Amino acid sequence: MTATEAGALAPAPTQRKRPIGLLLVAVPVLLVLWLIIWPIISAMIQTIWLPTPEGGRSLSVSSYEFFINDPYSRANLSITLWTTAVCAVLLLVVCLPIALYLRFSDSKLAAYVQGLAIFPMFVPSIILSFAFIRVLGPNGTVDLLLNSVGLPKIKSPYLTPWGPVIGLVWDNIPLTVLILLSGLGNVSNQAIEAARDVGAGRFALLWHIILPRVSNSILVAISFAVLGIFSAFTLPYILGPAAPEMMGPFMQRTFRDLFDPTNAITQAVITFGFCILFGLFYVRSVAKNRTP
Amino acid sequence: MKRRHFLISAAAVTAGVTIMPRMSFAAEGVIDVYFTSDQNVIDFWTNVVKPKFEAAHAGVTLNLVDGGDSAGVAAIGDRALAALASGADPQADLFEGFDTRVTVDGIAKGLYVDFEKAGLSNYSKINPLAFDIPTNLPYRGSQVLLAYDTTKLDPASVPKTWADLVTWIKANPGQFIYNRPNKGGSGGNFVRRAIYEVNGKDPSKFTVDNFTPEFAESALNPAWDVLKDLAPSLFDGGAYTSGNTQSLQLLGQSAVTMIPAWSDQALSAIDQGVLPETTGLVQLQDLGLPGGFTKLAVLSNGTNKDAALKLADFLLTEEIQSAVLTELGGFPGVSWDYVSADLRTKFADIIPASIPNFPSGKWETAINDGWYRAVAPNVDPAS
Repeated sequence: MTATEAGALAPAPTQRKRPIGLLLVAVPVLLVLWLIIWPIISAMIQTIWLPTPEGGRSLSVSSYEFFINDPYSRANLSITLWTTAVCAVLLLVVCLPIALYLRFSDSKLAAYVQGLAIFPMFVPSIILSFAFIRVLGPNGTVDLLLNSVGLPKIKSPYLTPWGPVIGLVWDNIPLTVLILLSGLGNVSNQAIEAARDVGAGRFALLWHIILPRVSNSILVAISFAVLGIFSAFTLPYILGPAAPEMMGPFMQRTFRDLFDPTNAITQAVITFGFCILFGLFYVRSVAKNRTP
Repeated sequence: MKRRHFLISAAAVTAGVTIMPRMSFAAEGVIDVYFTSDQNVIDFWTNVVKPKFEAAHAGVTLNLVDGGDSAGVAAIGDRALAALASGADPQADLFEGFDTRVTVDGIAKGLYVDFEKAGLSNYSKINPLAFDIPTNLPYRGSQVLLAYDTTKLDPASVPKTWADLVTWIKANPGQFIYNRPNKGGSGGNFVRRAIYEVNGKDPSKFTVDNFTPEFAESALNPAWDVLKDLAPSLFDGGAYTSGNTQSLQLLGQSAVTMIPAWSDQALSAIDQGVLPETTGLVQLQDLGLPGGFTKLAVLSNGTNKDAALKLADFLLTEEIQSAVLTELGGFPGVSWDYVSADLRTKFADIIPASIPNFPSGKWETAINDGWYRAVAPNVDPAS
């Protein structure tokens, strides 16, 4: 039934197609405007249209001034940037080899490797956190194994900034691998064979043939991971140090434990400002991809 | 296609059941109990209180309803207040873990039973430390105490005063950890004990109404200095876990020797094997770590008010109060003289001389913010 309708629509003149297409995207666009864009704008207004002691409201950037002049808040922002940057680099280092292996391997083992790489997607982060404490925490499984062969204990990353880094990298492996893998689909076998025929080594192959074709996917994968990591909550909250804290736990604590919505929203707007930069990267690369 | 049909019809049935008007009225002889507490408390009522009470009072049954949290039961309280004004049936009889002050005008309008005048036979047994206001009936308590590993620390030499504790922590670097004061009360009440320590060990100095920024500064800053001074001797040179459970886990993994812990959580952890049998519990004897009592309220306009009062009285009997210790891992709401003698000896080390209860309100935000700014950043992030 639907197929015949679609068939009838196909030859229609272009000017008739346009309103139908717009109508089809209208619902999601309106939902995004209502549920996402409007709250962002209203949050921004709330942070600069502050109540005055006289009872009225006036334009003020005092909450932003407080954030910028407060060393504690700045430390939280910089640990968030640090964690995000380290995670992004580590993700690339870990995931690119996995994706390359999965793309070019014909062995049966590849299916298992892929299953293993996707597995973290199905583990809720709260369970991951407690498992992390059990395994990598003090006197955890790793320590027990090392101890049993007479080696010294590891310096546990639990409750240090490296705790959330390890957790977040593990948690983001599936998405990154999947995006890189789809990007590697663009690399044709012929191109690689042609390069091999003229004597390209493995590294030259990677650098001149493969990477240029997947650079877009790398950008997309990193923007996605960064967006998630920047505002992560559970892993930094359970595995990270008490201070400095990442923006996610910081916002939540300011809002729920200090009952200070203005500063919490200010922190959220600042976080959003950083995230939108990476969002623009993503939008730009998608747009670039679309233009023929 | 089949699967989709099934899904649609299943969804329709579920929706129909949920939105079907519920025309139930409070039944005579069924006491409706609403809980704010966690599942372990409701389990305790289901497995211990309900069968024992129903066996002792033929024809009366308990209907145990999880009210979610304080806000959930507060809404039922508001509904009961409206029912009181119109003479309707509130469909509720007893609130567990509820502060009657939450219902605006509730006490003034006589919504809640005044237990001083209710004539409960066991009322006089209640621990004098637990009394709050006459419409709140304390029936169980929980307090933060110190849990430690007896294989590493001899119970005979365990610190029993704040000063001894500080000495012990400094003499044994890396063996103590407490959690962040806003995440689970065990660390929070350890921090509050430090605040008491620098303010003459006098809990009466702090009330919910006497908060001023100046007083807070003079009262809290010395406590931050004490805690900052402890930081280098804590686990990992000044790490703080993010919850009660994580502290228990570190003690269970033998990574530390001593932690502050909630009494009920520590006792049930030992019971379930999360903490080993060799775990010792001790309370500071100069001034205990803070904690609090859980109260219940009985509605004066409930259909089963008299039965609910019998239930309240029943909760204060030795049978249930001993079970609070053994089954729930809580503290009795009655004085320790009214629990069985062998339990009294078993728990002798943790019987508190006092249970300080630090006020919340603005004090809470001042402590949370102050600790994060003054104490927590003392950690070198690279360590």
